[in-house]
Amino acid sequence: METATALQTKTVAIIGNPNVGKSSIFNQLTGLNQKIGNYPGVTVDKTVGFLRIGEKEINLIDLPGTYSLYPKSEDEVIAHRVLNGLGQEKPDFALVILDACNLERSLLLGTQVMDLGIPMAFVVNMKDLALKKGIQIKTFDLYKMLGVPLVLTDARNNEGIDAIRQLMATEKFESPKPLLDSYAFADKALVEEVMVRFGFKNPYQAFQMLVFGEFDKTLPLADKQWLEEKSLAFGFDRKRQQVRETEARYVKIASILKKSVDRVKIESSNVTISLDNVFLNPVFGFVVFLGIMLLIFQAIFAWAAFPMDLIDVGFAGLSGWIYENLPPGVLTDLLAEGIVPGIGGVVIFIPQIAMLFGFLAILEDTGYLSRVVFLMDRLMRPFGLHGKSVVPLISGMACAIPGIMAARNISNSKERLITILVTPWMSCSARLPVYIILIGLTIPDTLWMGISFQALGLLAMYLLGVLFTLLGALALKFILKTKEKSYLLTELPIYRLPRWKTVLLTMFNKSKIFVLEAGKVILSISIVLWVLASYGPSGKMQAIEEEKTTVLQTTPEADWSTVEELYASKKLEASFIGIMGKAIEPAIRPLGYDWKIGIALLTSFAAREVFVGTIATIYSIGGDVENELTIREKLAKEVHSDTGEKVFDKATGFSLMVFYAFAMQCMSTLAVVYRETKSWKWPILQTVVMTGIAYLAAFITYQIFS
Amino acid sequence: MTAAQLSLQQSATIESIQESDISINFLELGILPGKEIKLLKKAPFGGPMAFLIEENIIALRQQEAIMINLKS
Repeated sequence: METATALQTKTVAIIGNPNVGKSSIFNQLTGLNQKIGNYPGVTVDKTVGFLRIGEKEINLIDLPGTYSLYPKSEDEVIAHRVLNGLGQEKPDFALVILDACNLERSLLLGTQVMDLGIPMAFVVNMKDLALKKGIQIKTFDLYKMLGVPLVLTDARNNEGIDAIRQLMATEKFESPKPLLDSYAFADKALVEEVMVRFGFKNPYQAFQMLVFGEFDKTLPLADKQWLEEKSLAFGFDRKRQQVRETEARYVKIASILKKSVDRVKIESSNVTISLDNVFLNPVFGFVVFLGIMLLIFQAIFAWAAFPMDLIDVGFAGLSGWIYENLPPGVLTDLLAEGIVPGIGGVVIFIPQIAMLFGFLAILEDTGYLSRVVFLMDRLMRPFGLHGKSVVPLISGMACAIPGIMAARNISNSKERLITILVTPWMSCSARLPVYIILIGLTIPDTLWMGISFQALGLLAMYLLGVLFTLLGALALKFILKTKEKSYLLTELPIYRLPRWKTVLLTMFNKSKIFVLEAGKVILSISIVLWVLASYGPSGKMQAIEEEKTTVLQTTPEADWSTVEELYASKKLEASFIGIMGKAIEPAIRPLGYDWKIGIALLTSFAAREVFVGTIATIYSIGGDVENELTIREKLAKEVHSDTGEKVFDKATGFSLMVFYAFAMQCMSTLAVVYRETKSWKWPILQTVVMTGIAYLAAFITYQIFS
Repeated sequence: MTAAQLSLQQSATIESIQESDISINFLELGILPGKEIKLLKKAPFGGPMAFLIEENIIALRQQEAIMINLKS
């Protein structure tokens, strides 16, 4: 038996440029032993992997991919904070991944880490590709000049991974001599004052603090002001000194590489450039893109339906089982009708989230995703969106949740926020059952030039969604203010085959984040909704229950289910949510809705498709609520008790569809928006504005058609 | 002349990067004075441009491309 005290735990931070194979190495080393959490105050995910080598336990911190340690996004701020041990323990070692084909560029980041004085090692990845390109690295010379141990790897083919393990086991990390003299870029007295205030041992840490201070949201205000005052007093110009530092760094790097790398000119056909002739072609490029998007849309829409049905049936079965096997009572009801369906409502989104992120991982890993940005940027810009907004918006047609999660790739905060705010207007799959029932009720099933009117109706609803998404973005473009300039400066990486392990891990991790983070909010709201729908003012509910028992005694057993349905409807009417439905009736009357529809609007807040189930209960439609035809036939016969007119006439039906197209009725989306914006301001604003517009649009629609 | 004025497949040497808020972004991607730059592709309707710089393909909008001054 080993005891915990015999284990030695070390922390290693792993950092590198984007597309350098960092995640490949991280995944090879840790496999599924990863934990995803949050850095406080930012949206960057904190990924830590665990591995054990002999007696040693290693916590591997996967820092976001970055080209340098300059404050441009939260990713860099996090790298800076972790490497300097700000707000958390400083890692024992740093492992910097370099690209063998791009040593000059990756050493920009590599030597910055060197100057921070943390014990470190370099991993030179993609050595095979470099050899093919005629780049010969004289490892020993490079090691001598940098003073840092080097490991050569080809992570895609699992080569050199053992050497990294070995390196960590023996702790062959070294604290290198700094490449640059920090005092050349900032006054010595200033640097020393910063070192004293923050307890740094190294002048480059102080230089980084001066540079990052302004951008670090988590830094105490007093520190921020102090840094600002000091910079001013010493005439320290951050931007100017950064450029000087970079230029000086590149000069040194060039002289090192001149002595340690040989280049042989190899004439080879460039596969990437030939592929780009198709993928970036002004005509074919868009055709290919459209084809790929159709495939993804089809997958999220149709293929995910199968596992989603299974989950649906499974959780319904579980609720049934609980009823049969647990003693009746409030706790059983809560479990079977509140908690289990609540969890089911979270789990049901996993197939769509996993699939979308699987496809995105493939597109990103192959290098295609950056091409989409290239193609679509010009079309998105007039609406205040970025080329990178395309993927979130399109996935919003299946489900807004993975779409909003995918918006994280947009670096400009205004463009990202606009994308997050308008994505829920794309017509998601939860609206479909609502549309299908209402279209069936209000649009005649006749053909026009061989096209069904009902299909045209559905298409119109989808187009309405797209139109308002773009208009909404356009409006936000003028409303939201930002000092940040929008720019596009991105690498189009070479085309590669996807790494399936990375794809699967992405699918797994994204689903996990959703379940753990958004799941909490969704579950609690489901329970609240259940309580509101199952309880009412004391006495009233009891009376209905007693009345039901008496009626049941006098009815033949064959009719019991009809009685049960009737009283389920009566109970819902008497419940708190029923009372709320009646209370809002005056407000929704102008839209053509009665209090019964009002109840459905309220319960739809859990998720739009709940409309169907609630309507079925409130109109006491028994049997299989999944059978849309039964519901439709029943609803078609419903008339207003006072006027005798049909409840679901054209005006009410259209008005309802418009309301569902625009209103924010999905708490899962709100939970994700909160997670991605780190503030309740945006989800609340989204609910108020979207629902307000829905109200207005439904009102206009009802007035036109009635 | 700036990189925005290159025609397709035309190469030139970078002379300087215009000073701006994002000059550091050019430098860190390896867009440095003295390097060869070649225009590979242009997205339609005045969209982004794709440049080849030392085997790396970098996409920029025109507003960024005009910040790269070329040697004539």
